[in-house]
Amino acid sequence: MYMRKYEVFFIVDPDLNDEETTSIEKKFREIVEREGGRVLTYKSWGKKRLAYPVKKRTRGHYFLMEMAGDSELPLEVERNMRIDDRVLKFITVKLEDRYDPTKDQTPEPQEPAEEERVNQTSEEAETVENASQDTIESGLEVKEEE
Amino acid sequence: MAASVTRQIIRKRRRFFRHKKVCRFCADSSLKIDYKDPSILQNFLTERAKIVPRRITGNCAKHQRELTRAIKRARQMALLPYTTLHTI
Ligand SMILES: [Zn+2]
Repeated sequence: MYMRKYEVFFIVDPDLNDEETTSIEKKFREIVEREGGRVLTYKSWGKKRLAYPVKKRTRGHYFLMEMAGDSELPLEVERNMRIDDRVLKFITVKLEDRYDPTKDQTPEPQEPAEEERVNQTSEEAETVENASQDTIESGLEVKEEE
Repeated sequence: MAASVTRQIIRKRRRFFRHKKVCRFCADSSLKIDYKDPSILQNFLTERAKIVPRRITGNCAKHQRELTRAIKRARQMALLPYTTLHTI
């Protein structure tokens, strides 16, 4: 059975203590598993200066989570990120349509064309604050492909 | 009149002779376009953070498409600015 592979790149409040930052990881791992998906990797990309302030913050703690699941999974993950004040921004990109979970190693890099279909319309770029809104749309697009 | 126009064109050609531009991403396959890595994307923005058109950069259509998509995603994730004209 094939799954879909996604990456979720998101920004967490940089002022949280380590404990709370870890609790976010725990929370999203649980959500992914609850939805029948699996977390493949979860990595900190470090704290960076933001190119423009987001929710009055000038820095952000970036994280990258790779996960596999069905097309509903990103919707549920994004819904939870949207209502979590500690998450400043997020974006989901589909990496693979046919991810085989029995093979631990992911087949070599997909054609970029594959990624193209994932999400994001050009309008998205014009929205400054509203990353969440855009990703909803992208989620719907993913769904429509069924 | 016609002669002077021709002369102008010739002069222009000589003065603004350009090398054939090559798409940097086609030429160097190790150069990856990734919205999470703004350092490469930054090279294709003007000082005002606008996307440089491919007639200037010489990128091929395919890579320009990939590049603009990555820049837009990087902007969404606050890795690149939308503009530098006014701070938001
Ligand atoms: Zn090219």
